[in-house]
Amino acid sequence: MAIEKILKDDASEEKGERARMASFVGAIAITDLVKTTLGPKGMDKILQSTGRGHGVTVTNDGATILKSLHIDNPAAKVLIDISKVQDDEVGDGTTSVVVLAGELLREAEKLVAAKIHPMTIISGYRMAAECARNALLQRVVDNKENAEKFKSDLMKIAMTTLSSKILSQDKEHFAQLAVDAVMRLKGSTNLEAIQIIKKPGGSLMDSFLDEGFILDKKIGLGQPKRIENAKILVANTAMDTDKVKIYGARVRVDSMSKVAEIEGAEKEKMREKVQKIIAHGINCFVNRQLIYNFPEELFADAGVLAIEHADFDGIERLALVTGGEIASTFDNPESVKIGHCKLIEEIMIGEDKLIHFSGVEMGQACTIVLRGASHHVLDEAERSLHDALCVLSQTVNDTRVLLGGGWPEMVMAKEVDELARKTPGKKSHAIEAFSRALVAIPTIIADNAGLDSADLVAQLRAAHHKEGCNAGIDVISGSVGDMAELGISESFKVKQAVLLSATEAAEMILRVDEIITCAPRQREDRM
Amino acid sequence: MAAATAAQPRSSKTESYVDNKRKEDIRQANIKAARAVADAVRTSLGPKGMDKMISTANGEVIITNDGATILNKMEVLQPAAKMLVDLSKSQDAAAGDGTTTVVVIAGALLKQCLLLLTNGIHPTVISDSLHKASTKAVDVLTAMAVPLELSDRESLIKSASTSLNSKVVSQYSTLLAPLAVDSVLSVVDPAKPDMVDLRDIKIVKKLGGTVDDTELVKGLVFDKKASHAAGGPTRMENAKIAVIQFQISPPKTDIEQSIVVSDYTQMDRILKEERNYILGMIKKIKTTGCNVLLIQKSILRDAVTDLSLHYLAKAKIMVIKDVERDDIEFITKTLNCLPIANIEHFRAEKLGHAALVEEVSLGDGKIVKVTGIKDMGRTTTVLIRGSNQLVIDEAERSLHDALCVVRCLVSKRFLIAGGGAPEIELSRQLGAWSKVLHGMEGYCVRSFAEALEVVPYTLAENAGLNPIAIVTELRNRHAQGEINAGINVRKGQITNILEENVVQPLLVSTSAITLATECVRMILKIDDIVNVR
Repeated sequence: MAIEKILKDDASEEKGERARMASFVGAIAITDLVKTTLGPKGMDKILQSTGRGHGVTVTNDGATILKSLHIDNPAAKVLIDISKVQDDEVGDGTTSVVVLAGELLREAEKLVAAKIHPMTIISGYRMAAECARNALLQRVVDNKENAEKFKSDLMKIAMTTLSSKILSQDKEHFAQLAVDAVMRLKGSTNLEAIQIIKKPGGSLMDSFLDEGFILDKKIGLGQPKRIENAKILVANTAMDTDKVKIYGARVRVDSMSKVAEIEGAEKEKMREKVQKIIAHGINCFVNRQLIYNFPEELFADAGVLAIEHADFDGIERLALVTGGEIASTFDNPESVKIGHCKLIEEIMIGEDKLIHFSGVEMGQACTIVLRGASHHVLDEAERSLHDALCVLSQTVNDTRVLLGGGWPEMVMAKEVDELARKTPGKKSHAIEAFSRALVAIPTIIADNAGLDSADLVAQLRAAHHKEGCNAGIDVISGSVGDMAELGISESFKVKQAVLLSATEAAEMILRVDEIITCAPRQREDRM
Repeated sequence: MAAATAAQPRSSKTESYVDNKRKEDIRQANIKAARAVADAVRTSLGPKGMDKMISTANGEVIITNDGATILNKMEVLQPAAKMLVDLSKSQDAAAGDGTTTVVVIAGALLKQCLLLLTNGIHPTVISDSLHKASTKAVDVLTAMAVPLELSDRESLIKSASTSLNSKVVSQYSTLLAPLAVDSVLSVVDPAKPDMVDLRDIKIVKKLGGTVDDTELVKGLVFDKKASHAAGGPTRMENAKIAVIQFQISPPKTDIEQSIVVSDYTQMDRILKEERNYILGMIKKIKTTGCNVLLIQKSILRDAVTDLSLHYLAKAKIMVIKDVERDDIEFITKTLNCLPIANIEHFRAEKLGHAALVEEVSLGDGKIVKVTGIKDMGRTTTVLIRGSNQLVIDEAERSLHDALCVVRCLVSKRFLIAGGGAPEIELSRQLGAWSKVLHGMEGYCVRSFAEALEVVPYTLAENAGLNPIAIVTELRNRHAQGEINAGINVRKGQITNILEENVVQPLLVSTSAITLATECVRMILKIDDIVNVR
């Protein structure tokens, strides 16, 4: 008797060829979706939310596109995951990694069709990846010793990253912003100290870097609008009432004057609390929760600047940059760390008033204020700038730098080709395929720019046949150009991460020979 | 909704593959949608532009000529169309005026881009050229501009009236323009001469009368009645005003409480205690010499009770209740006083002083005016009157635009001619510039130049003139070097528009061009719409 059902109802199983085919199709579809965003002339996508509000996002950032997609194909999900990992690890190259993985799979598909076992392909890919990495290592430039040169390297990397984004027109301005911000960090990769504030209005060129911290809040009534040598207490405490938090607690009294007494006592309690806070010797108090009128007035009387309802992010960062700690009890003034800054004042950006803390304890901290035509522009600008900041902070730690514009891919492809020629056996087909997948990246960059990719890539390959060549695709003029002269650079760490994670992802998908879809959890029909 | 989400996972298995061949179609669809939005507001451009009537989902009717408002109320869904709506919003934030112009320019640019795209030019090439053209355009505009001194009240009024002339309330522009100028100038802080915070100008709307009765009040106006309970005073000279944030009512604690009454005599006692309690508070208030109370609205408990109003009336204290918390800052700034949050802190030095506080009947309602304030802060109040709510709302929007215009002039002190003159001049100069450029760039810049002619064209069209005759005539005049020749809509001919006093701030024109270009470039760069969670 044949076994009729092993799996549950609705669960399905795809095996062997079919499973592999499903993976390839899914992964390649994802690749095709994002590949038009690659390179300086890549296009943007509108992400239209099907949820409430039909929010619209316009973006060029691979990770953003991918993470918001509805995906059901398991292989496609693997690609999305590697793009996420790339985003977390190095922050840039999120599109490249997916495209490379997709191209590797596209080549693998052909090999599988030619009856080469997936395991052979995998071992070929591994050899090729190792060889490609070594090729890159030989060609890296490291300007760690020369501060002047290193800074110009950073500028170049920032410009290259930004040139594929919305900020491309003002890339010098923003590259400068990003480099300045990252240099302030002095080697730490703690991007939390860089705060990005978005304010609609003005144009992108009006964006600026401000040393210090800006809080998007208002100063309470009747309080000083400007404080020098501020001592800041950052707190998360209730400044409305100290309630007895026992459910159902109530007081029974027998006369109106008793009620008045209780009210007086409550007020007194609040006054004591305020006194305690003031006793810390502060002149600025920032609270995450509301400050009611009564304590606000007390603070005003004491000449303390009180800011209410600062958002969670805001106070954490404020505590970080001013070197204070978030306090919630005020009985021991000694144990509370108070933040310091040189000057607090109210500034106006666009139509809004903000509070500016300058000369903060943590010298690394700074704020980038982005201005732009609309929220779409600002959101996209923030994402782009974030990418640039990530790459720069990584480069500060790993100072090795490569050229850009398809140059690293061509260098790797050449070495991998050499290896293919030396390797006997079926593996050499896989190694060759790897090199073809690498060349696909400059091809796509050229295609996106509306150039004749076949011609350009052939020229590029010829140019790379010479030792020590710096040729890459110059998208602006539409020809092969010297990347060193054009100042197009990329971080080695990003390239390495792209290469390794793309290979790993491709390998993982290739190994799959069966997809089991579990039965969906039954849901009651809610109407 | 639940059915839709349930169906989603099953169908998406096959739909995860998106055909990229539809790139061109997407771009075209985006451009078409955006242009449809632009066309919708096109007819409201210029002094003879028409108004739109919008009936909102909740049955409210709005009649307006203000581009930003129209677009805001049009609930567009198409993402590219939404971007145009946002564009007009940002123009509103940046310059406050020219919200229709910016959308019309963007629409015209998109029309030209569509042509360029069908000619097979790569979108990024178009986008880069547009950027170059817009930077150049700003340079040209700046070169055309006339510097302005803030003391030159005449010029300020002229530009404010240019903005007002295109609105429903245009016949009142002689009244509203000086009003806008005076109110902005009165809030300019000499310490920071470039900054104007429009929140320091409060606009109070009151139905009844005509727009003619609109006035600038040096002081405060409350759209509220003074409390009339128990015949309290409604007019107070030499007022000492307190802004209080506490309540004059029986005490209420934050923790739950209840008074237990066990026998009849206790009830009497409680009533008496309540009276004494309130009386005590009012005595404290009275001893400071305060005779006008502004009481903040309270959600937790009654700010005032009948009883306390009665006592306050007896004490000859005028009461205005239900002041919003948001208004407190403005009020205290104007009165130069401090809010008082607790009866214990009720001290004479926290009071504001004014020569007169009085309740005035206006139309069917009453308002309270505070005038002759001692040491008044840099704020001002405008009282708008109108025969119906629609007119008042539109007057408010128009006045806001005019205020923004004056503000632009304060922050960037340059004027430029109106009436389509700058656009046609730009078109001419950019056209000439395009001839020296090489390759695609020149081609795209020329299209940019042509697109700018849409402004004079539409102005003429809306005024019922022959647009082609007017635009060609304009080109001719500009080619002969009359850079300030523009359309005089009233006379229906072309004159030197500077002499006709039709001027606008430079900032409005430059920001319209740069913002429109930025938006168009963004739309061009989109090649796909992806549905996401």
